[in-house]
Amino acid sequence: MRFAEYVIGGWALTAGALAAYWLRLGARIRRAERLNRDA
Amino acid sequence: MTLLNPRVSRILGWAALAALAVLAVFGLWVAPPDRVQSDAQRLMYLHVPSAWIAYLAFGITAMASALYLWRRTRSPVWDRLAASSAELGVLFTGLTLVLGSLWGRPVWGVWWAWDARLVTTAVLFFLYVGYLALRRVPAPIEARAKRSAIAALVAFADVPIVHFSVDWWRTLHQQATVFTPSLNAHIHGVMAFTLWWGVVAFTILFVYLLDRRYRLEALEEDLEARELTLAIEERVQGAGLTAPPEHVEVGARG
Repeated sequence: MRFAEYVIGGWALTAGALAAYWLRLGARIRRAERLNRDA
Repeated sequence: MTLLNPRVSRILGWAALAALAVLAVFGLWVAPPDRVQSDAQRLMYLHVPSAWIAYLAFGITAMASALYLWRRTRSPVWDRLAASSAELGVLFTGLTLVLGSLWGRPVWGVWWAWDARLVTTAVLFFLYVGYLALRRVPAPIEARAKRSAIAALVAFADVPIVHFSVDWWRTLHQQATVFTPSLNAHIHGVMAFTLWWGVVAFTILFVYLLDRRYRLEALEEDLEARELTLAIEERVQGAGLTAPPEHVEVGARG
């Protein structure tokens, strides 16, 4: 594959950014649910 | 507290994952390399869907903000939807810029150019980062919702400028290939299929993430309201404890 470093880098970065956002969103939801329960 | 039925949301999550896996197979292996751009073209299967989601997200934010500002349809639902969609819009605009830069380096020979499309997109990104920052400024929920809605509508003015920048000015960035009035992409076969599949996959992912983000917004709003009630109660109690005894007359002289 030509320009593999750009192509693989771009795909990996997108996958990483989306996965990180999804995981962080899940953690924020769980934290908010817990705080709401405790309040 | 969610936009969708939890079961539908779960199904959407799995559907998004499956659609993205198929996109990776087609985008990285099945689709042929471009005759001019070679394999760098494979970044377009992410760049174009990301840009589409950015438009969609900011469009939803603008629509929800307008519905909030209009008295007859005013509801906290619109404010939460606007906030949730704007955050996703910022994420996908950021991805659009980074992917475009990664594509530009091998094809244009530069990471960045002061081109109308690139600059207006960067402005769009910062406008909505500003919108999200504005939402974090402490204020009563209604006041925050109103001023955020106005800011969202002002920021949305940049979206058509971004889209038509390639027609209005001479730009390095190519003109619209997919989002033309006829939606007739000037590419064929597997490449067109992969591009459209990417648009569909990203749209499913966006709807799923929007539902999740909306839930978070609703939970945080509930918490904020409870904390405010608690703070007021504490203040009232505190004031009661430090208030002067009833038998003391203020200003009385012995």
